[in-house]
Amino acid sequence: MGARSGEYGSLRRVDGIGAPFFVLGLPLFLSACSGRQSALDVAGEDAAAISLLFWVMFGAACLLWVAMNGLFFFLSRIRPGQFPDRYVQPLLIGGGILLPTVLLAALLVWGLGLLPDQRAPGDGLRIKVTGEQWWWRVEYWPEGAEAPVVTANEIRMPVGERVEFLLGADKVIHSFWIPALGGKMDMFPGRETRVSLRAERTGVFRGQCAEFCGASHAWMAFETVVMEPDTFDAWLEAEAGDALMPVEGAATRGAALFLSQGCGACHTIRGTEAVGQVGPDLTHVGGRLSLGAGRMGVSTAGFTRWIGHTEALKPEVQMPSYDFLSTEELDDLAQYLVGLK
Amino acid sequence: MSEDRQKTRDGEVEEFAEEQASLWRITLSPLAWAAHFVICYGLVALSCAKGLPVESVRQGLIVFSVVVLALIGWIGWRAWRQWDVRETGDYLNQQGKAEDRHRFLGHAAFLLSIISFIGVVFVSLPLLLLEGCG
Repeated sequence: MGARSGEYGSLRRVDGIGAPFFVLGLPLFLSACSGRQSALDVAGEDAAAISLLFWVMFGAACLLWVAMNGLFFFLSRIRPGQFPDRYVQPLLIGGGILLPTVLLAALLVWGLGLLPDQRAPGDGLRIKVTGEQWWWRVEYWPEGAEAPVVTANEIRMPVGERVEFLLGADKVIHSFWIPALGGKMDMFPGRETRVSLRAERTGVFRGQCAEFCGASHAWMAFETVVMEPDTFDAWLEAEAGDALMPVEGAATRGAALFLSQGCGACHTIRGTEAVGQVGPDLTHVGGRLSLGAGRMGVSTAGFTRWIGHTEALKPEVQMPSYDFLSTEELDDLAQYLVGLK
Repeated sequence: MSEDRQKTRDGEVEEFAEEQASLWRITLSPLAWAAHFVICYGLVALSCAKGLPVESVRQGLIVFSVVVLALIGWIGWRAWRQWDVRETGDYLNQQGKAEDRHRFLGHAAFLLSIISFIGVVFVSLPLLLLEGCG
């Protein structure tokens, strides 16, 4: 008896701490609903459709939860005793078979009805994205283009236009997902999948690989920049051009180091001798918002850290850490790369 | 062995054979559901991978789904008659007599037909709502 009341006592104490904690914690949980990588902080037509489905399901689930617990409370506390026989059959057949069948069928029809929109043809621009371990190879194919504008680890798209994404993968399955803009789509080696997205407001939204793809899966991300159409066209034109030639001392030394250290065997910097295809294209890497596929921001300090500690920052990455370079050399390289706007 | 006993024996054998068939019949609806599932998923995947005309495959599978639904409906209807609950008013058939066993098998087959019918409808919905291979 004593032990039992003790148990109850401790339970009550937990409750006493839990309730205020829950109330205080609630805004923290809700704050997770907003932000640049949230399917609930909608910035595109397709994400809006999915989020409406989510909120309807969430509301219905709450309603169902309250109804079931209300019924349980009613039958166990307010009106306990024998349940009248004449209600058993309607409750079992109605609540156990008819209701779930109708609800699930309605949700299935709704959900399937959303899918064709997510694969609707685009307004002209197509972006080909290939999942690599662990970065994104990106090619822009504007309408009528014969050759793509090649870049990496960042998506830019015009607001208000439906953009078609052609997805593929190199060695393993990845998944392309920009939660604020729409649903996810798997990327398979040797097969092309499609998803089309229409952004409704400008801004920067985070995309993330949504299918486990190896040691650095969590570090496989990218920034999505939704721009006004004019700004986008200007950006794409600049992106198609060759890299800027370094002018001042440190950056010039960095450019020479880039070639002498063999970086060009893996990376392309258009307009130079670096034409490697193994790693990300770096022609305009200094103009991007993130470095190392969403690993960190673009800055001189960032590049120094990245080049010197690549393997620590991105486990099992193919690029070796250039920790044998001196601080000055790393800084020269960083000055060069950060200048490649 | 007297003639009477022989008759009963024959009757029992006959009845057993009939129940055996009825036992098989309760599996028909789930089997139709399973076959429909495999054929739909298999054919669509195959035609997408091999570049066959997926639109004709889709239309063919819609017709096939209607046929399967009709088949399950017919099995369900026969099972409903076998259960005969409207005539007897006995839902559970717990007596353990031959007649009860017979009706119980009808009951089970009827319920399995309902779930199989719903299953086939759910599997068929993408055929109606989605086009192409994606």
